[in-house]
Amino acid sequence: MYSIETIELSRTFKRNKGRLIYALRDVNIKVRKGEIFGLLGPNGAGKTTLIRILATLLLPTSGKAYVLGYDVVGEANKVREVINVVSGGERSGYGIMTVKENLWYFTQLYGLSRRDGWRKVRELIELLGMEDFADIRLNRLSTGMIQKYNLARGLINDPKVLFLDEPTLGLDVEVAKYIRRLIRKLIKEDPERTIFLTTHYMAEAEELCDRIAIIHKGRIVALGSPEQLKKMICDELVYKLEVKGIYSKLGERLKEAGFSKAVSSKSDITTGLTSLRMVLSSEEEAEEVVKWLIGSGYKVISISKVEPSLEDVFLKLVGGKLSEE
Amino acid sequence: MRSRITLLLKVAYARAYVRIKGGNREPSWVVWEILLPLLAVASVAYTYMILGAPREYIGFVVIGGAMISYWFNVIWGMGNALYWEKETGNLETFMITPAPLEGLLLGMALGGMFNTTLRALSIVLVGTMAFKASFNPSGLPAAFLIFVLTMVALYSLGMCIASIFLMYSRSGWRAAEVLQEPIMFLSGLYYPISIFPTLIQLLASSIPLTIGMDGIRRSLLLGYNLYDLRFHVISLSVMIPVLAYLAKRMLRYMELRAKVEGRLTLRWM
Repeated sequence: MYSIETIELSRTFKRNKGRLIYALRDVNIKVRKGEIFGLLGPNGAGKTTLIRILATLLLPTSGKAYVLGYDVVGEANKVREVINVVSGGERSGYGIMTVKENLWYFTQLYGLSRRDGWRKVRELIELLGMEDFADIRLNRLSTGMIQKYNLARGLINDPKVLFLDEPTLGLDVEVAKYIRRLIRKLIKEDPERTIFLTTHYMAEAEELCDRIAIIHKGRIVALGSPEQLKKMICDELVYKLEVKGIYSKLGERLKEAGFSKAVSSKSDITTGLTSLRMVLSSEEEAEEVVKWLIGSGYKVISISKVEPSLEDVFLKLVGGKLSEE
Repeated sequence: MRSRITLLLKVAYARAYVRIKGGNREPSWVVWEILLPLLAVASVAYTYMILGAPREYIGFVVIGGAMISYWFNVIWGMGNALYWEKETGNLETFMITPAPLEGLLLGMALGGMFNTTLRALSIVLVGTMAFKASFNPSGLPAAFLIFVLTMVALYSLGMCIASIFLMYSRSGWRAAEVLQEPIMFLSGLYYPISIFPTLIQLLASSIPLTIGMDGIRRSLLLGYNLYDLRFHVISLSVMIPVLAYLAKRMLRYMELRAKVEGRLTLRWM
């Protein structure tokens, strides 16, 4: 039995004048127990829609979805007993109540006795190192503290499947690192537990996930381990170029000029440079790009061949960087 | 089944705890919950006193003022609450747990009733002391029974309203507004509904608040006993299962529609 299984799962939304928008289109994934499974995709790709369906908050338009063998439509209550969801930037809870009181409230939603509820709250406060702000009202917490609280809330029922939707979004480096460490610890402590993670950060996905699915416009366009995904571009070359000046549309211009569709550009006003990352088929094609740039009046500062990363796989499959979409 | 009921009661207790503790943590609640509502009652009481109305009318107004605060709590405190739960993201977090939605609403009702009872008691207390309203203590048992039945019926109606907010969010406000002024008018808040034509009296009698308020007034002001008020008790007892059934069906239906249309977690609407 899989931890999560979707079969031809689709979800549409009606927009203006009855126009149908496909948020998910024939999604088939199988997530094994004990896996950290990553779902990568730009904004609007369908990541949150998929999590909402799996968390029983939304019904699919067609197809099937199962969590630990339970049908998310017909056995929603059973699914709810074994899952939990934590979203980055979420502020659920009651601002006027303290962290402790809020956590205790959530223990009651899972039917814990009053005593067991308070015991669980103490355990979670210790696990997440929240002793310093456990008695502070929720509306007075910093973003980092809030995210620790959110994670504590997500662990209240000791979920067998934990959905983490952009869990490090907007956090400073130290807190984000702490949360990644915790995610690994959660799997280590309970090998039966599954973590389904969505993230914008490629490095985070590469560091944490056993397998990754890339979703674009509601479709799964690639699925595999980070190494398998990187092999998808093993026959190709990845180049990094630096051009003097700020050109926000340079990537688009290169695509229009008929070069690789897998190109991303980023301008840095502090250095006055525009960086390009391109997936190309050969060294000759790289030379062509440089020639075209010079011929078009751009000043090429540097060009270097770099190791392919997950970012480049994404670039090749989707035609842009996650942040550009 | 038993564990489901236990869970419902736990959830209700926890939500009531949040409502009571959170709601009373800021001392400003005294102003909003007690002082301001007293002004409305005082203004009507003074009007009756200046007009030289019989003394019973003051008691009539005081009971009306106390009871209407429960109605406000039902439509704005309970129905509307699901809108705020949704906006703050709490509804989403709630809906991924196995906790029944009825438990959340029951908790809101109980928590809201606690705060509203403080408000209602202060109205009765001030009405008795400042406006010399007098009540008949022998009518207390009958008044208490009718009060309890009225509350169960009213909060069942509140669950129906909550289901509208669950689906339509802010648009649900219109439904709540539609229920506010007409019910204040029809329930006989500051006057006996006997002044209405028979047809309107019949319509007004289909509102639990009207029957409850009338029964409590008759018991506390005129000394009616339970036997005298048997029709009030029967009417409310019939309304309760009907409204409770309707509330459950509406909640289930609206939850399903909201999940189909993707409105369950949709904010800013």
